[in-house]
Amino acid sequence: MSLVTLSINDKTIQAEEGTTIFEAAKHNNILIPHFCYLENVHQMGSCRICVVEVEGARNLMASCVTEVREGMVVHTNTSKVRKVRKVLYELILSDHPKNCLGCHRNQNCELQDLGEQIQIDGFRFEGVKSKDVVDSSSASIVRDSSKCILCRRCVTVCNEIQGVGVMNAHHRGFATYIGPSEVESLGHSICTNCGQCIVVCPVGALKEKDSTQIVWDALLDKSKTVIVQTAPAVRVALGEKFGFEAGTLVTGKMATSLRELGFNYIFDTNFAADLTILEEGTEFLKRVTETFTTPEPAVLPMITSCSPGWIKYVEHQYSDHLGHLSSCKSPHMMLGALIKTYFAEKINIDPKDIFVVSVMPCTAKKFEITRPEMESNGIRDVDAVLTTRELARMIKDAGIDFAQLPDSEFDAPLGLSSGAADIFGTTGGVMEAAIRTVYELVTGRELPMEALHVQPLVGLKQVKTADLKIENPVEAYSFLDGVTVKVAVTSGLKGASKLMEEIRLGTSPYHFIEVMGCPGGCISGGGQPRPVDDSVRLKRMQAIYREDEGKQLRKSHQNKDVMALYTDFLGHPLGHLSHELLHTTYVKREKN
Amino acid sequence: MAAKEVNDQKYIICNADEGDPGAFMDRSLLEGDAHAVIEGMIIGGYAIGATKGVVYIRAEYPIAIERLTIALKAAQAAGILGTNIFSSGFDFDIEIRIGAGAFVCGEETALMASVEGRRGEPTQKPPFPVQCGLYGKPTVINNVETFGSIAPILLKGADWFASIGTEKSKGTKVFALAGDIRMKGLIEVPMGISLGKILFDIGGGIPKHKNFKVAQTGGPSGGCLTAEHLNTPIDYDSLIKHGAIMGSGGLIAADEDTCMVDMARFFMDFVQEESCGKCTPCRLGTKRMLEILERITVGQGEPGDVEKLIELGTSIKESAICGLGQTAANPVLSTIKYFRHEYDEHIHKKYCRSGVCSELFISPCQNACPAGVNVPGYIALIAAGRVKDAYNLIRQDNPFPSICGRVCTHPCESKCRRASLDESIAIADLKRYAADYVLNSDEPYMNMMFQKNGKSVGIIGAGPSGLTCGYYLSRLGYSVDIYEEKSVAGGILAYGIPEYRQPKDVLKKEIDSIIQSGINIFYNTKVGEQITFAELKAKYGAIYIATGTQLSRKIGIEGEEKEGIYHGLDFLKDINLNKKVTVKGVVAVIGGGNTALDAARSALRLGAEKVHILYRRTREEMPADRREVQDALDEGIVLHELVAPVRFLGNGAVRQIECLKMDPGEFGKDGRRIPVQQPNSHFTLNIDMAIPAVSQYSDLPFVTRQDVELTDWGTFVVDDTTQMTTQQGVFAGGDVARGSDVVITAIADGKVAAKSIDKYLGGKGVLNTGEPIEIPHLRPDEANTIEHERFPMRYLDDDKRRTSFEEVAQGFHKLNAIAEAMRCLQCSKH
Repeated sequence: MSLVTLSINDKTIQAEEGTTIFEAAKHNNILIPHFCYLENVHQMGSCRICVVEVEGARNLMASCVTEVREGMVVHTNTSKVRKVRKVLYELILSDHPKNCLGCHRNQNCELQDLGEQIQIDGFRFEGVKSKDVVDSSSASIVRDSSKCILCRRCVTVCNEIQGVGVMNAHHRGFATYIGPSEVESLGHSICTNCGQCIVVCPVGALKEKDSTQIVWDALLDKSKTVIVQTAPAVRVALGEKFGFEAGTLVTGKMATSLRELGFNYIFDTNFAADLTILEEGTEFLKRVTETFTTPEPAVLPMITSCSPGWIKYVEHQYSDHLGHLSSCKSPHMMLGALIKTYFAEKINIDPKDIFVVSVMPCTAKKFEITRPEMESNGIRDVDAVLTTRELARMIKDAGIDFAQLPDSEFDAPLGLSSGAADIFGTTGGVMEAAIRTVYELVTGRELPMEALHVQPLVGLKQVKTADLKIENPVEAYSFLDGVTVKVAVTSGLKGASKLMEEIRLGTSPYHFIEVMGCPGGCISGGGQPRPVDDSVRLKRMQAIYREDEGKQLRKSHQNKDVMALYTDFLGHPLGHLSHELLHTTYVKREKN
Repeated sequence: MAAKEVNDQKYIICNADEGDPGAFMDRSLLEGDAHAVIEGMIIGGYAIGATKGVVYIRAEYPIAIERLTIALKAAQAAGILGTNIFSSGFDFDIEIRIGAGAFVCGEETALMASVEGRRGEPTQKPPFPVQCGLYGKPTVINNVETFGSIAPILLKGADWFASIGTEKSKGTKVFALAGDIRMKGLIEVPMGISLGKILFDIGGGIPKHKNFKVAQTGGPSGGCLTAEHLNTPIDYDSLIKHGAIMGSGGLIAADEDTCMVDMARFFMDFVQEESCGKCTPCRLGTKRMLEILERITVGQGEPGDVEKLIELGTSIKESAICGLGQTAANPVLSTIKYFRHEYDEHIHKKYCRSGVCSELFISPCQNACPAGVNVPGYIALIAAGRVKDAYNLIRQDNPFPSICGRVCTHPCESKCRRASLDESIAIADLKRYAADYVLNSDEPYMNMMFQKNGKSVGIIGAGPSGLTCGYYLSRLGYSVDIYEEKSVAGGILAYGIPEYRQPKDVLKKEIDSIIQSGINIFYNTKVGEQITFAELKAKYGAIYIATGTQLSRKIGIEGEEKEGIYHGLDFLKDINLNKKVTVKGVVAVIGGGNTALDAARSALRLGAEKVHILYRRTREEMPADRREVQDALDEGIVLHELVAPVRFLGNGAVRQIECLKMDPGEFGKDGRRIPVQQPNSHFTLNIDMAIPAVSQYSDLPFVTRQDVELTDWGTFVVDDTTQMTTQQGVFAGGDVARGSDVVITAIADGKVAAKSIDKYLGGKGVLNTGEPIEIPHLRPDEANTIEHERFPMRYLDDDKRRTSFEEVAQGFHKLNAIAEAMRCLQCSKH
């Protein structure tokens, strides 16, 4: 890359060829006011807020999409630029409700932030509003088009990053709107409910379907035993809503806050993550054994099933290949089923009076709990899903001074977990957890890797792969001696579709694949605090690994409470009761 | 540039997404000679090393698509397209892509997105298509006309092409002439030809005797060119300099009936609909501009709206992604630049001078009337047989019904909707009918005394403007004194209009009825002599000056002082004031206005052997009433068009007039062609008398420029909403403020002045027009409307006309009047 020299606001600077004026300015401490631009995600130049004056150019140029050139002379604050920027901001506001005090994004809104920078005196260009559709047909996502300012970040995320393509621009001119096509609604579309659109939405046009009210109702209902469980990725992000640095672990404060909110039992989805490894690991070994020892090979590669966004995606797009999915329910569904059976029995409460709440980094889980498969004996496995953001709202609403809370522990018997369960929250984590246990089961030896980490599977790369050569297996798996097990890990649905295309073409070399629907995994799920960029992802990921490494127990099969569950209740992995409570089936859905 | 790009694949695209309203150049070329376009594309492909071509054409052009398809097949069959063309080793093929007709897809980056199967939305340039075009490959994209021109240029050479056109804009350009122009259609002209030549020489000018107002080039992305640009060469640079663009070649002519605010609204509506919706300025800015324009056109404009339009327009221009957005505001900005006054009239006066914005008026005719007379109302009353009510309704807004029924220039008739079916309603004749009926009947017309309010107003000049002002002030209770230099009231009506057009007894009755409202007139009283202006100012709460223009302007040629030369207004005045006027032999009248016509016809009646009218422009351009001109010709008067006098010859008395023939030259600021002398075209006419009648001017001996501001033409500077001069409490109107104009504007000024004077003296500024008159709701049976020209009015026999001053037009018979009134389509909203 060669360097070009240019001038921005009379400062002579150098920038790499191919960088934009916006980036070059930023590197030199000039932050050009911008709006639709989202680093590494969305550079479209549609809002035009970031326009600058380039000497010699006929018009103002959007700095986020204009590359630097040798000798370029740029001014970011001329009176012309300032005037146009104000007009543009007022125009955006002219088609926005401006009822900020009644919006859940109040004080966490990029349009408000922009207002603070641009500072206008009034609204001079008021007129009719272009749209007022509120689409609440989805179990996960509410789309309030009246607030949409057509930045199109969601379109980019849904199409370019997730490859789903349900969010698109329709109609023209002032009538342009963003969403599923006119004849569809989100709830009846191919939307996977991943919620990545919510994470990038600068305003309140996209949000999760609210569950705080039904949870409050349950908490205040004396007849209900309200039990909460929290996913591994929540504890590394919740603190951000209370002023902590991204990647701050707040596991103990979180447990205390849940107790203060009035939950009767505080359980950990991580417990079920360990359980998942035992079930899913066993399922994998069963498929491998069938493949290597019987004339009828089982369906391989097997693909993980803990990400409900991914599940709905594959049901729509690759409905002929559902056999590759592990039959395991996602961990929180497993735990929900166990709470309403095993634990209900233990505390001798009618499962009808138990209300299970899952706190998740995920919006797709809200849809997942509504799936008809997710019940046992007519009783729903989980009654409500709160996103990390919703939990934070409830904590604030309840007047709990989160930052000052002391730490506390999860409750037994469904609160204990290994480090392997913690890493479920990040891309590569489920696979690594599975390998830690499966390797040991097959070879009788601990995974011979530093700190038990499978390094090639760590990080934010879209598709990661690893080969594991099996040598000297235990007697039962002697047929695997010398076999190289090939695994792949991907996060984000675009990466998943690449791996699925190989499967569809019959060229997939893998035995086991981990898919998480959101880029980076649950740490940047659709229910996590904003903003999310790669630096935030990395900080949360590091926190996950810290939590893992800080534990005595690092492997799922070391979890004594899980093993006790098998002894006392389930019998053995893939056993009859497991099959009934912990496993599920999938449905074919329309491709469009 | 594209040839230098190194790439495995390059493309040639022909942009046939022609979408400007009224433009169909590409279509005609593709339908007429698709091979020319194909050939141009192949040559282009060869030049840059492209092997694939795409013609992007809108689905609305099925015949063009069909013919292009046939042409492509024929070219492929002949080996002109395909692999190894003519064994040259060069491969090239063309495919057709049909667009859904989104205007934005005419923008090249949006077009390429559409070809690729994506939503047709533009991207910012750079990168330009030559570097990164279709599918990211180097692409040259040109329009149909360009490709069609390539083969002839190669055959005849670049020098040949460059020899046509101007320094910077070479070659020819095809335009689609549309709108208010006689000959519509496609024209190909050399670059640099003047707008006037296109419109008037090629296009045949504006139909229906209307005046040219603007030409819109570049469609919704372009701007307007006005009468003052008729000499502008049409080339890229000149158009941009004047705020318009060449665009694809749409050229829409618009006549005086075009409202510029409405036109801006129309184009903004179009671009707003066609905006792709990607960038903020175009998506929202055009909508907000449209909303403001819509408000203005329905009478809800607010002060500051024009400034908002300018701010939005310039911001959109600066910040939009693509050409559509960057030019979207051009029609608005350009109409504001040249027609700001029309915006202001809509916003501040709720007035649309073109009679287009129908929310602002009752009917187009009422809107066209400077005095705002409820035309459809009195027409309906006449149709219902309620003639006296009709008369009183007219008098609510105009105290001179019988005069205006005779001499008004009736701008109302030129806006009559009936004209689009057969012929406009004879509005003036009907007004005259109502007035004559009441003034001749035994019934005393309604009048009353008005309670005095103790305040007084002095008026200088008892012409139509002064009398109108006095009439309305007196009805409000003011004591009104009018100072009149002459011995009769009426001003120009009394001495400037010949008896055969407007009999004196009619005028007297009308003036009497006005004076009855309580006006006091001091005759033979000249301000500055019998009474000073200062005395007047001391005596009255307010003064209205309406002294008109009484002096004939000399034409300023040699011999003008000779005996036998009689200036127009003096000639008419002397006849009307019964002075002895002798006319004999051959008379030459110089000029083309109503005074010239009146002088010519009067001269004929006074015994002239022969009357010539010399006019330096064409008959079409004569400011005189068309009917007057026709009547004059019918009476045997000879009109010499394009003739200008050079000098009067004769020893003492005038014997000859030496003239020059003229040619229409360049266009003047008023849109009329300035006559230029034909070299060596001198000729002489033998005459016995000459009557120059070119224009009149004011004489204001009682005020000086120190007291009050005057224009360069010697007229008063007045506030255009209040008629107040630069001196507090001193108002002026009519010709003394406007320069030579017509009766109805003088009346309108008198009305406006009455309101302002009332306000100035503490009133509400609301005229007392009398009891409201209930108007019958006539709803003509539209389905059964049949074509029928005007019902005839009675005229004096031709042989009597030449020798007598008896009134030529004798009015409607009652039955014909009612029938004529029933022709009215009643397009008004009551």
